[in-house]
Amino acid sequence: MFRFAPKESPRLKRLRSISLFKGLTLRELSILDLLLHERHYLAGEVIFDAGEEGQGIYLTLDGKVGIYHPEKSQSPLAELGADSFFGEMALLDDSPRMAQARALTDCTLAVMFRGEFLSLLETHALIASKLSLQLARHLGQRLRSVSLAGSVPGSTL
Amino acid sequence: MVWSAILGSTCLLLFLFQKILWLVVPFILALIIYYALLPAVQRLVLAGFSLSSGATLVALGGFAVLGGAMALAAPWVAAHVVGWNEWGARYLAGGLGFVLGTLESMEHSFEFLAQAHLTESVRQGVSDFSANFVSRNLAGGVMLAAAWLPSLLLAPFLAFFFLRDGRRFKKFIIRAVPNAFLERTLFVLDEVDRTARLYFIGLLKLTFLDAFILAAGLWGLGISAPLLLGLVTAVLAWVPYVGSILGCALVVLVAATDFPGNPGMAYGAIGLFIFVRLLDDFFFMPMTVGRSLHLHPLLTVIMIFVGGAVAGISGLMLVLPLLGVVMVLGETVGQVVTDPRLRARHSHARQLRQTAVTVDLH
Repeated sequence: MFRFAPKESPRLKRLRSISLFKGLTLRELSILDLLLHERHYLAGEVIFDAGEEGQGIYLTLDGKVGIYHPEKSQSPLAELGADSFFGEMALLDDSPRMAQARALTDCTLAVMFRGEFLSLLETHALIASKLSLQLARHLGQRLRSVSLAGSVPGSTL
Repeated sequence: MVWSAILGSTCLLLFLFQKILWLVVPFILALIIYYALLPAVQRLVLAGFSLSSGATLVALGGFAVLGGAMALAAPWVAAHVVGWNEWGARYLAGGLGFVLGTLESMEHSFEFLAQAHLTESVRQGVSDFSANFVSRNLAGGVMLAAAWLPSLLLAPFLAFFFLRDGRRFKKFIIRAVPNAFLERTLFVLDEVDRTARLYFIGLLKLTFLDAFILAAGLWGLGISAPLLLGLVTAVLAWVPYVGSILGCALVVLVAATDFPGNPGMAYGAIGLFIFVRLLDDFFFMPMTVGRSLHLHPLLTVIMIFVGGAVAGISGLMLVLPLLGVVMVLGETVGQVVTDPRLRARHSHARQLRQTAVTVDLH
């Protein structure tokens, strides 16, 4: 009946491999899993558009996603494979999406809604600090890549 | 146009809801219980319990506390019920004495009232009414209580299922939403949940504010049991206007009985009550409940009157939460329907799916 130490199901194992969730315990992962909505997209389907009000972060469980510049939609700025995440800026501020995300192959994504994420931050400081650390690392990497290469692959989300 | 639809839908829903009050009332009670117990369930989930076991434990705890309180209160109630009857008669007599005393003093001041024998007429009317009141209304009252009891018992069960399956139900709804509308739908569901939660929290804040201010005023006047009176009248005020009248009558009865030879105390209590009600209806309610719903104070007041006109007492109670929910739904559906890009994306996704499932059929 109780679930003090959940077993590592294939689903939790899958979530654990996502870089954003690095360092989370199984129990914390199972709490996060309650907040995730799994979605399936076909190759070519738009996930979100540039200019939209971002409402959530997307985690790639399976398949490939392309990030497209709003005015140059032929070739992607970045290709994101399984275990990556995108749309994280929606969690941090209310600014509109700055690029389009489109499925490059059939893919399975997990979506975490901003409202639920913020509520989790308020109620569970430990998970909040771990996720914030991973987000900060991720944004730091992006910043470094901007400084070094002068380009912003996938960072305009 | 969207706002016209929102206000029209709110009025239509109010009209329909008053037809199914037997379901609406336990549903609202269940929502209040749900929002009161949800933090405890969330704490258990964060402590490692599954959602089902957390909800079950909290519901069992809630039922145990309620059952224990009823079990403890039952012998005390049984021992004092006869005394309550006497208290009731005493306070009614006190209230009646106050009313008749006021009328007599008015007869002394106004000749035409004395000629009309107003005091005697009222005394006779009250006497007839109280003599026949029990025989006329007892059967109806018992039948009403018997009819409402099963539906009120629904409330805790509904609350338990909200706690246990609410998130699952939300996921189930979201799964049915096309990808193109996903983010908007998530936003709507979150806003509806937020609106309902803040409304009920606002209502609780309002109750405590009312109870505290009225209790302080009654204590200042020297009236007995000010805190209990304040709390009871604040809960009665959940029904706008009608509840306020009942609460005022209660306060006057107590004041007139506590100070039988001093009608000034009863007038003082009436003045205090009117002052608190004005504060409540035109200041506290727009600032707490209205602010929870992000409604303009003027719209809040107008909609309370509209709700009363459309659906009576139930309309007064339901109009604000309903308006809040319809407002969020209406604004978002309006945005989705009028957004050609979202509709085009949905159409494109459907074409992709059609192609995928018919690829080997050509």
